[in-house]
Amino acid sequence: MGLATFIIRRLLWVVPTMLGVSILIFAVTMMFSPYQRAMLYIHNIQDLRGKNIDDIVATYGFNRPAYEQYLDWLGRVLRGDLGYSETSRDLVLSTILTRLPRTAEVVLPSIPIIVVVGIFLGVLSATHRDTIIDHITRVVAIFGWSLPTFWLAIMLLAIFSDTLGWFTPGTGGLPLGSEANEFVKIGGSWHTYTGMFTIDGLLNGQPWITIDALKHLVLPTMTLTIVSIALIIRIMRSSMLETLGKNYIITAKAKGLKNSVVINKHARRNALIPVATVSGLLVAGLLTGVVITETIFDIDGLGRWAARAAGTGGAIDLPGILGFALFTCVVYVTANLIVDALYAYLDPRIRLG
Amino acid sequence: MKINIRYRIKEFKRGMAPHISEAKFMLRRIKKSPLSIAGISIIIFFAIIAVLAPVIAPPVNRNPYEIWLDGYASAPRPPGSPIIKNTKAIKLGYTTHILGTTPGQYDIYYGIVWGTITAFRVGILVVGGALIIGCAIGILAAYYGGVIDELMMRFTDIIFAFPGLVLAMALVLALPTTWKIDMFFYVFSAIGFIGFVILGFKILKLSSGQSLGFGFLGLIIFMLIDMYVLKSPSYWIMPLQLAKLDKALIALTIVGWPGYTRLIRGEVLRIKQEDYIEAAKAVGCSDFRIMYKHILPNSIYPILISASLDIGAIVLTAAALSFLGIGAETGYADWGQMISFARNYVDITMTNWYAFFIPGFFILLFVLGWNLLGDAFRDILDPMLRRK
Repeated sequence: MGLATFIIRRLLWVVPTMLGVSILIFAVTMMFSPYQRAMLYIHNIQDLRGKNIDDIVATYGFNRPAYEQYLDWLGRVLRGDLGYSETSRDLVLSTILTRLPRTAEVVLPSIPIIVVVGIFLGVLSATHRDTIIDHITRVVAIFGWSLPTFWLAIMLLAIFSDTLGWFTPGTGGLPLGSEANEFVKIGGSWHTYTGMFTIDGLLNGQPWITIDALKHLVLPTMTLTIVSIALIIRIMRSSMLETLGKNYIITAKAKGLKNSVVINKHARRNALIPVATVSGLLVAGLLTGVVITETIFDIDGLGRWAARAAGTGGAIDLPGILGFALFTCVVYVTANLIVDALYAYLDPRIRLG
Repeated sequence: MKINIRYRIKEFKRGMAPHISEAKFMLRRIKKSPLSIAGISIIIFFAIIAVLAPVIAPPVNRNPYEIWLDGYASAPRPPGSPIIKNTKAIKLGYTTHILGTTPGQYDIYYGIVWGTITAFRVGILVVGGALIIGCAIGILAAYYGGVIDELMMRFTDIIFAFPGLVLAMALVLALPTTWKIDMFFYVFSAIGFIGFVILGFKILKLSSGQSLGFGFLGLIIFMLIDMYVLKSPSYWIMPLQLAKLDKALIALTIVGWPGYTRLIRGEVLRIKQEDYIEAAKAVGCSDFRIMYKHILPNSIYPILISASLDIGAIVLTAAALSFLGIGAETGYADWGQMISFARNYVDITMTNWYAFFIPGFFILLFVLGWNLLGDAFRDILDPMLRRK
């Protein structure tokens, strides 16, 4: 089976998976009673005047059989209608689209750091097994893995912005009320191209806004990196240890190759395969991490919106939280698809076997 | 009779010998690794705190998990501040706020001590629940293979496709606070299940695995009868109050099991080919007995290690839920929530460091303990690495 066939087969699996995901998300909706769901449409007592809550239930068809409601809902989702989010006071789909760049701005820079540094430390730890370097790296990795994201973020804020004063406290993105934010808000010469302040600043010919935005991205990116890097270090270490015990490594050493050549050329490349497979988990970790990070650093991205939709009191923002869940699933399934294709490309045994 | 008992003991000892030597080997490796000793000491330390909680922090409120308040002032107070308002606490022997108070005047020391129990409960219940569900599904899927395997694993993939925290967030919202359990429905369905199992086993002479499957068929039939023919929902309703933390626990369990299913399925697929399974089949062991007595004990170790690593991760996720305000109830002894109280007092000045540093430090230490332990175990039990 060629690579193309493998990918096509894998793509076909996406359809039932996404269908299952949609059923699950809809099942969460159905856990609310029809009346609870009708109540989501009532913002104050005036809305009810002259009407009965049964009318609302009937209008929106909350008491129809589940499968009818599901097909209805699925049809709307496929047309891009995910409902209206109370938290962002906007349609769910447009909320996701406007907030996505902010989240990407935080997540994207952290990925190369995590992968490169993680692989480097993992290899270092494995090649120096049971030495002091190994112990320190492992402790650092376990430490990073044990840190509560929210606590780390708060500590970083406390240390770097309050005590040292390097980065402006409190907010990421562009802080409200700052010069840069006012400039963007007033508009005039500002035009939004991508929604990322760092890139838009350059495109608008306002490099000072880019610098300002970058400054606010340092701490959130650092938080995400520290929390997620442990995963890569651990997998890389154990996979490298396994590879180093293989016969072809011993052969390579026996024929007198330099140690660095054996490690860099023979061992590391083969040890990378398991790392590719956990990258899917990395994406999931970052998506979850972003909920906390954005909440603490006040970045107006997807994560903060989801946290507010789920957490803050008053009416529950059901369309919001379900929209976010659906979005994360799409991202996650896509990421896993790419990972699988990569895996098949790296390891011929998978596609041929 | 006497000889018989002695013989039994001898047999038992001979049977246990490999396990004992395995345990001795593990102990030796653990003694050699400073990291695992650190992990075990941390967990023992927390276990002692949890056991002694009523002694070292006597409950002030009727519900011991409610942290006692000392007034309602919003600003936190530093360690060693005197107790002003809560006379009941003074009567019980508290002299000062040993670790200070959170914003809102919850006593940090009390919250930390009773939060330990919460942390253990969250970690062990969620991981235990997920382990049971995951192993049951994984073993069934791998053992029977074919369509059952395909269906169960696709279902697992779907749950696995959700990032944990996000699905847990949605589920916590959706789970009802009062769960109206219609006992008639459950008893009726259980009768259907048991009846069909007995019917299949005794009368139709099916194997035990098949009659279990037959029992599930009965379960579904009786459920449908109850839902559409008898329409019972008001015979015998038992309301079950779910605290906010319980909802979080259920949500995390629902999210957590697919990882174990995948792991154990791989193990079982490997073990299924072994000769001793063939032998067990040949002497006529029932499917259930093979799964329970032969497959489960031989495949569970890697899953247990993964589970011990997960306890830390689950405690972190639960703390994150609490931090977002959808975990424990306000005032419940929970470390994550105590940090969320302190959140607004970070920016102004570092003088309030204790309010967020102390609870966070305890979460870190607790999770670190489990992770160190799990990491050490993995190195010890990994057959590729162990005897080097």
